[in-house]
Formats: sequence, structure tokens, C-alpha cells
Amino acid sequence: MTARRWVLAVPVLLVLTVALAGPWVPAGSVTAPIGASFAPPTAEHPLGTDVLGRDVFARALAGGRVLVAQAVAATLLGSLVGLTVGVWAGVTHHRAVGRSLMRVVDGLAALPALLLLMLLATGMPGNDVAVAAGIAIVSAPFSVRVLHESAARLAATDYARHAEARGEGLLTRTRSDILPGLVPVALAEAGIRFVAATQLAATAGFLGLGAGAPVANWGRMVRENSTGAAMNPLPVIVPAALLVVLAVSVTVLIDRTSVSTRLAPERIERAA
Amino acid sequence: MRVDVWITARVVTAAATLAVLTVIVFWATEVLPGDAVGVLSGPTATDAEREAVRLALGLDRPALERYLEWIGGALRGDLGTSLVSGREVAPLVGARLSTSLAVLVPAVLLIVTLAGTLGTAAGLRHGGRLDRWLSGTTLGLIGTPDFLIATALLVLLTAWWPVLPAVALIPPGQSLWSHPELVVLPAVALALGGFGSTMRLLRASVAQTVTTPFAEFARLNGVRGHRYVWGVVVSNALAPAVMALAVMTAGLLGGAIVVETLFNVPGMGSELTQAVAGRDVPLVQGLSLVLGTMTLLLLLVGDVAAKLLHRHAPATSGGHR
Repeated sequence: MTARRWVLAVPVLLVLTVALAGPWVPAGSVTAPIGASFAPPTAEHPLGTDVLGRDVFARALAGGRVLVAQAVAATLLGSLVGLTVGVWAGVTHHRAVGRSLMRVVDGLAALPALLLLMLLATGMPGNDVAVAAGIAIVSAPFSVRVLHESAARLAATDYARHAEARGEGLLTRTRSDILPGLVPVALAEAGIRFVAATQLAATAGFLGLGAGAPVANWGRMVRENSTGAAMNPLPVIVPAALLVVLAVSVTVLIDRTSVSTRLAPERIERAA
Repeated sequence: MRVDVWITARVVTAAATLAVLTVIVFWATEVLPGDAVGVLSGPTATDAEREAVRLALGLDRPALERYLEWIGGALRGDLGTSLVSGREVAPLVGARLSTSLAVLVPAVLLIVTLAGTLGTAAGLRHGGRLDRWLSGTTLGLIGTPDFLIATALLVLLTAWWPVLPAVALIPPGQSLWSHPELVVLPAVALALGGFGSTMRLLRASVAQTVTTPFAEFARLNGVRGHRYVWGVVVSNALAPAVMALAVMTAGLLGGAIVVETLFNVPGMGSELTQAVAGRDVPLVQGLSLVLGTMTLLLLLVGDVAAKLLHRHAPATSGGHR
């Protein structure tokens, strides 16, 4: 990692720390009103109050963990599916099965992500886990495609074909010939999925999917408080800034990382 | 592969995807626990009352039978009645679609103009100052979730510099099409969300065309100015560009859910958010079906158009795509 990349990594780590450790900070009640709505900041309440007179500082600290947890869980699950399906379809002898599998994946990738997320939320109302599962489902086809393409390229190399001709099994070939070359691509792909998943999780919160009010959630805070931005803009700006810093820094980090992920930002947009 | 065979295969794939979508829509709304019974019987209902509602809705019948009945109705244009308002779903979706298009069409035109001009300019001089500046800006736009861009516009232009109406309040009986001033803000918000990735794709496509041997040949032969830009670069970068525009427009259908909800535009997206919140199952099904079908159709048209355009392009790009 170059020094420049470390500089970019600092804001990512900061926001992740606020999101994950925030709920442990004893900053007062997240749900109890402490004053008038949209009151300006005071020494006691450094970010003022929100639409229902609740402490914005406490809510901002509490509202990130669920988003990051959803994004991380969806990224891990989607990458796992992507690795399993993508590598199998790229390495297997059953070329026809692999090809039809990829056609199915293409079809699934064409379905609008937000629509699928909203459908799942109708079926499992107020469920944060359903939102995470939904994000994993909509992002997995993109991971499968990228990892399949790389795995198929690695499977066509001379050393991989030698191993195949020697009669080595699918698992052995995958472990010793495919996976070592696939790791950088898989990591970059996971990064792209993480940004898209963060955006989707925040959008889900914004649209009121997942656990309902009064639970704090950065996405929902932006929505709840956009009417009072003229009186106290902080309940909108703070969660928005945290989300933007996280998403944009990770996007720029991936953009600078390697050649294999060229057009990475476009793929984020396509998935979110 | 012959082009007509390719197109037939592509249409069959799209039809199969649509069939999968109908199964997902039905399964998510009727088989998962959050079905219509909870909405109609209310939170205080006893088990016996809930069972009575289930029987009245016919939810005791096998799921396959109900699915086939729903699909049969949808094919005849009958999408059932809303559980909340009691109105017929099909005409309601039609009215919402018209409002959504009033925002979507200007947004698409805006993106095509801006992304087309800037993408071509940046791609012609890739690595130049405009290119680097646009690259940074679009990276920021892409990293930012669409709802934040829309909220930022809303807050900036209504709270701090109130020149445009924030909320699309349409007088009853009139259509959004006759009120352009209400369209501006949601259309710009929608366009900003899709601008970044489209601009980058067009730029990449133009930049790639510029470096091809035939473009260099044309330059060396003294083809300059408009003839070079239009005749050599744009016409050859068109196939991927059409593809990018189709993908972008399909993406805007999803972005419209957020923008319409935020600006209270009574289109398909805001109706879907409300229907999901109220678990109005027939309305969610109808809206999802129409939104999904439109997305798949757009992608199909984009794919076929790109294929036809590419067929006429000179085979210099290695022939793979």
C-alpha cells in the first residue's frame, strides 16, 4: 500500500469505527425527546435535536451499526456465492451446464435491485435480516459473473490445463491453480460489492424497509429530518456525510487499486 | 452466430427472465409471512378472525393455483383491486406510469445531452484537464447514494435558496405533463444519479475508439473537425453507447422509486413505497410486474440495437463483445 492509499483508508476506518463502536458510547437515550424539534446545537447536545426533539448525537452514533452489519453480511454472503458458483462454472468439465448456469445468472442480474429488495421487505416486514439477505441476493449475480470470467481465464492457462490432463480432481485444481490467481480479483470485487451494499442498505433505511421507527438508522435519519433542514441541518448533514465519506473513499480506493477492476465505479452503479 | 438467431435467443432469455420475475413477485408477496391477511384483519384480530379473512381471500388454496389465476388475470389486463383503497390496480398503475414518465423522459434527455457532450469531449482528449476533472466529479457522484444527491438538491433549493417548488402538488384532474416547473427538481435529481456512470462509459467508449488504428488512419489522412468527431469517432462508439443508455434508463426506473418518494411525485415509485409500507399486496404485485417488465424490455431493446449497430461497424475492434 502506498502512502496515498493509506490517507484514503483513514476516513474509511474512522466511519467504520463510528458505525460499529458508536452504539457502545453512553451518549444518552436514542428514542426519548430531550427538547423542541430541530433545536440548534448546545454544549450538552453538540448536534442539536431532530424532528421529534431527540438527541442527534446519540442517534448518529447508534444509527450506523445496522447499515454496516447489513453491508458486511451481504458482501460476505454474495462473495461466497460468487466464488462457489463462478469458480465451479469456470472450471467444470460440464461446459454446457456451466454456460446455462451463467445465462440464468445474467437473467437474475437484469432484475432491478431495489424492486427485489422492496418485494422481500413486503414479504418479511420490519426485518433487518431480510434486508441483508435481499442485498446479498441482488449482488451475488454480479460477483458470479466477474469471478466466473477470471476463473475461466485462469482455467485456460497452460499450467491449469496440464493439471487437468494429469487427471487432478476439481477441488485440487481449484485450490492450487485457480484460487491463488483469483484472490486479488475476489478482494477487489468484494470491495465493489461492499460499496453497492452500503448504498442499498442506506437506501433501504431511507425508504423505511427493515426495522421500523424509532430505531436510529443513518438512511432513515436523512429522510425524517429533511423537512427541518432550514432550522437545524445537522440531523441531515451528519448521517449523510458519514455515508458519503464511507462510500466515496472506498470507491476511490478501489479505483486506484488495480487494472483488473477498471470500470469498477460503473459496476457499483449498475448494482445499486 | 447469425443475427436473427441471436435476437431470437435474446428475446427468449428476456421472456424466461420475466417468467422468473413473476414467480419472485408472487412468492415474496403471497408465500412469505407478510401476506395480505395481516393488513386486512388488523393487529388486534384473533386467530379465528384471521382464519376467516384467509378463507375470504382464498389464501387456503394451493399457491400454484393462485399463481396461475394471477398470471391469467395479468395477461388479460386485470391486476385485481387494491386492499387499501379498493380501486382497480390496472388503471391506477397506468395513471402512475404516465406521471413517472413525465419525470423520467426529461431526466433521460438531460443525461443523453450532458453525458453525450461531456463524454465525447473528455474521451477525445483523454488525460486532459477536463477529463481528469470529470473523472473525479463522476467518481464522487457514483460513490454517493442516489437518495443523498436528491436530498441535497431538495435541501439546497428549498430551504436555503427557494426558487423551485419542493413537493409536486398537482391540482386534481391535471397531469404532471402540463406542469413543467414541478418536474424540474425531480428530473434533475434523477439525472444526477445516473449521469456519473453513463458519462464514464461513454468516455471510455470514445477514448477506446480514438486509439484504434482506423481513427489514427483517418487523422493522418487529414480528417478533422466535425467530420472526424461525427463520422469517425461517434459513429463507431455508438454501439456501446446505446447499450450504456439502455442500462442507464433501466437503472433510472429504480432510482425513480427514491426520487419520487422524496419529492412526493405521485408516480409508480412513490406508489410502490406506500404499497410496500401498507402491505397492499395486489398493488405491490401490479407495480412490480410493470416496473420489472419495463426494465427487461429496455435492456432487450438496448442489446438488440447495439447488436444491429455493431454489425455495420467495421471489424477493427477484434470482433469480440
